[in-house]
Amino acid sequence: MTVLGSPNSPELDQLLTASFEAELLEVGGPPLVPAPRHFELAKTLRDDHGFLIFGFVVAVHFPAGQAENAAGSEELLRVIYGLRTRGKGTQLVTWQVNVPTGGAVPTLVPLFAGADWQEREQYDLLGVRFDGHPDLRRLMLAEDWEGHPLRKDYAIDTRVHPWR
Amino acid sequence: MAMTQTSPVTAGWADPYLDIEAYDPEADLMVLNLGPQHPSTHGVFRLKLYLDGEIIVKVVPFAGYLHRGVEKLCEKLTMVQLPPIFDKNDYVSPMMNEQSLVMSFEALLGIEVPRRARYLRTILAELQRIASHLLWLGAFAMDLGGALGGGSTLFLYCFRERELILDLFEELTGGRFHYNTHLIGGNRHDVPVGWDPKVYAALDVIEARLVEYEDFLTRNQIYIDRTRGVGVVDAELAMNLGITGPVLRAAGVDHDLRRDAPYHCYDEIDVRVVTATAGDCEARGTVRLGEMRESIRLVRELLPGLPTGPLGARKPIKTPLAEKASKGHAYACVESPRGELGVYTIGGGDNKGASPYRLKIRSPSLHVLSCLPYVLPGQSVSDAVAVLGSLDPIMGEVDR
Amino acid sequence: MMNPWLRALVYALLICTVILTLTAWSIWFERKFAGRMQSRLGPTFYGPAGLAQPIMDALKLLQKEWLIPETADRWLFILAPPLTVILALGSAAVIPFSATVVAADLDIGVLYLLALGSLMVIPVWVAGWSSNNKYAMLGAMRAVAQGVSYEIPLVLASLVPVILAGSMSLSDIVRYQMEHGWFVAWPPGPGLIAFLFFLPASLAEANRIPFDIPEAESELIAGVTTEYTGMGFGFLYLAEYLHTLIVSAVASALFFGGWDGPFRPGLHWMVLKTLLLFAGIFWVRWSLVRFRSDQLMKLCWRYMVPAGLVLVMSAGLWVFFRGGQP
Repeated sequence: MTVLGSPNSPELDQLLTASFEAELLEVGGPPLVPAPRHFELAKTLRDDHGFLIFGFVVAVHFPAGQAENAAGSEELLRVIYGLRTRGKGTQLVTWQVNVPTGGAVPTLVPLFAGADWQEREQYDLLGVRFDGHPDLRRLMLAEDWEGHPLRKDYAIDTRVHPWR
Repeated sequence: MAMTQTSPVTAGWADPYLDIEAYDPEADLMVLNLGPQHPSTHGVFRLKLYLDGEIIVKVVPFAGYLHRGVEKLCEKLTMVQLPPIFDKNDYVSPMMNEQSLVMSFEALLGIEVPRRARYLRTILAELQRIASHLLWLGAFAMDLGGALGGGSTLFLYCFRERELILDLFEELTGGRFHYNTHLIGGNRHDVPVGWDPKVYAALDVIEARLVEYEDFLTRNQIYIDRTRGVGVVDAELAMNLGITGPVLRAAGVDHDLRRDAPYHCYDEIDVRVVTATAGDCEARGTVRLGEMRESIRLVRELLPGLPTGPLGARKPIKTPLAEKASKGHAYACVESPRGELGVYTIGGGDNKGASPYRLKIRSPSLHVLSCLPYVLPGQSVSDAVAVLGSLDPIMGEVDR
Repeated sequence: MMNPWLRALVYALLICTVILTLTAWSIWFERKFAGRMQSRLGPTFYGPAGLAQPIMDALKLLQKEWLIPETADRWLFILAPPLTVILALGSAAVIPFSATVVAADLDIGVLYLLALGSLMVIPVWVAGWSSNNKYAMLGAMRAVAQGVSYEIPLVLASLVPVILAGSMSLSDIVRYQMEHGWFVAWPPGPGLIAFLFFLPASLAEANRIPFDIPEAESELIAGVTTEYTGMGFGFLYLAEYLHTLIVSAVASALFFGGWDGPFRPGLHWMVLKTLLLFAGIFWVRWSLVRFRSDQLMKLCWRYMVPAGLVLVMSAGLWVFFRGGQP
C-alpha cells in the first residue's frame, strides 16, 4: 500500500518537516525525525491529529557501509514507528528515528500502552534501548539469551548452548 | 526522562507493573502458572497469575515459547520463497498471512495485480475468515465447557463445518491447511471447474448451522453468565494498545480495514461492519458471529462476478532470484480475523536484493494479548480462561 | 431366611460385581451416546461396536505406573481414590432394586444416603490436598465449597418424598408411590419441583457438568485428579460414574416409583428408569458449558435454598391438609 517515497500523505510530511525537523531521505522511506523531537511528535499526532491506534515499531540495523548506511562509517540503528487513525478514511503515519550511538530512544509508553511490548521486542531482537521504559526485558527469547539475533552481525546459525 | 507515569488512558485500569512485594502483606498470595502447558492457553503461552484466593491480583504474561525467528529467516530466504513460510505465522488463517506478505512485496516492487487475482483473493480471504471464526467458536466453547463436556460438542460441530471450507481450499490449492497459493503479482491456483456450486452448498450448510450455534451458546444462560461483563476492554484502552479487529469492534469502535482502507476488491463491494458496545466476552462473540454471517453474504455476492483475465502479473517463476528490489520501504496490511495484520518490508537484502533487508510482521494477536495485564486483575481464574479464549490469540503470530 | 451374615456377604459381592460392571458399561454407553451427539462414532475398535472398550480401559489403567509426587502426602494420596469408590458403593446398599432385591432395607435409608453423600466430599478434598499441587488445591477448595453448599438443596429436595410418603425407608417410599402415584407427577407441583431441585443438586455433589468445577479441565488441567495416574485416576473416574449411577437410581426410587411400572412391576423397571435418567444426565453434560465457581454458589444459596425451604413447607402443608397419611 505504500511505496518508495515517503508513505505518508503529503500533508503529514509537510507537518513533520515543518514542525518537527524531519528530513525526507533520498533513499526513500518515512521521514527521519531527530530523537529529541520524537516523543513530542507522537504526542501531537495522538492528541491533535487523531492518530489513536498504535501501529507498529520496527527497528533496523545497518552495519557500516550497508544499504541505507552506505555512506556511514559506524553502524546505524533506526527505529520506525507507525500510528493509525480510526474509522473511515483511516490514515497511517510513519516516521523514523535514528538511535544515538550507545544511547537510547525515548519511549512512547506514556502515550501508548501498546508500545510496551513492541519496544521490548525490538530490544530483545535488535538491542535497541528505550529510555524510560518501565520494564525493558526480553519478550521473545529466554531471559538468559546472549546476543540480539536480528542484528546483521548475528549469524543465523549461531550455536546456542544446549537447554539446561 | 523519568518514567513513573503511564498513559493517562491506562490509569483507570489495573497496573501491570504493580509491585507485588508491596501488595497487602496480610494477603496470602498464590502464584499460579497458567501454561505453557495448559489445555486452554491457545498454544504455548504462559500467564503468571498472582492470586488472592481465586481473585487475580497481577498478571505477568510470558510469550515467546513459539518464537522461531521468522523475521531472521526472511532475511535469508528470497521474496519468492517466503509465502509458504508465512502460512505458519497465523496458522489458523494462512490466506491472510500470505496476502499481507505478497501485497507488501507488490508494493515494494511496484507491481499491479490483475483484477481477477485481486477478486479471487477477496473471495479466499472471506472464506478464510469464516473458517477461522468457526475454529474460534469451537475453541471458545471448549474453554468454557471443557474437553469432556458441552464445549467439545460445539467444538466438533464447528470443525465439521470448517471441513467444508477446507475441502473447498483443498480443491483449489491442493492443501487443506497451508496453501502457498499467492504469488508476488497474482495467484498461483485458479478456480477449478465446478467449484462454485460447492461453495454455495457449503455456505448454505454453514449458515443454517450458525443458527444452531447461536442457540447453543448465545441464548444459554450459563454462557451469558460466564461472558457478560467479563473481560471488558473498552475503546480507549484497545486503541491505545494497538488492538484492532473484533476486539476493537466489540468495544464500539467502527474500524475495519476492509471498508476504511480498501485493498483487493473491497472497494467494489459494501462491507457492513459488525460492532457491539459492551466490550466484554459476549460482545466479542456477537461480533465474530456477525462477521461470519457477513462473510457468507460477501462470498455469495462476489462469487458470480469473478472476472476473466490473467491470474498473475509476472511470468511463471523459474528461480528463487526472480524478484529483486534494491531499496525502498513498504507496508501492507490486511484485515485478518484477528485484526490488522501488516508486513513492513525494507528492500535490498541478501542475494542481490532478492531477499528483504528487514521484514517485520505486525501481528494483531501480540497487541491483543498485551491487554491482559490491564484487564484480568479483579477477576477469577475461570474468567481468565474465558477472556483468553474470547480474545482469540494465535501464538504462531504472537511469537513468530 | 438365610443366615443374615451370609445374606450380607452375598449382597456385598453382588453389589461389587454387578454395580461395578454396570458402571463400566455405562461409561461405554456414555461415550457412544456422546459420540453420536457430536456427529462421530464413539468407541468402535475393541469388540463389536466397541463393547470391550471398558475392559481395555481398565487394563490400560491397571498397568500404568502409579506416580506419587515426592512432596505429596503419600498415604493420604494413596488412600483417597479407593475411599471415594467405597463410599459410592456403600450408598448402593440401600437402593431398592425391586421388592425383594435390596441389600439393606434401612428405616433411615434416605438419611443414610445423604450422610454418605456428604462424606464423599472428604476423599475428594483429601485427593486434592495430598497432591501438593496448586491446581489440585484449587480444585479441592472448589469441590468442598460446592459439595457442602449443594447438600442443603439436596436434603431439602429429598425431604419432599419423605414427607409425602411418611417414611425414610426407600422401599416404603416406592411402595407408597405404587399405591398413590409417582411423586414426580402427583401431587402435582411439589414432587416435580423437588425432582427438578434434586437432580441439579446431586449433579453438583457428583461433580458433573455443568457443575464440574473441581475437575474443570479447561481451567485447572484436571483439577483434583491432576497428579493421579494409573488406577488412582481410574478409581476417581470410576467413583464419579458410580456416584452418577447411584444418583439416577435414587432419583428413580424417590420420584419415579422405583420398581413400579404399568405392567409387571419388578427389577427391570428400576434398571430402565435408572438408565434413562443416566442418559438424561449425560445429555446435559455434553450440551452445556460450565458455571463459574461463584455463580454456582449464588445459584445454590440465593435461589435453591430459599426455594427448597418453601418447597418443604408446601409438601408439609399438603400432607397436613389431606389429614395426615392415608
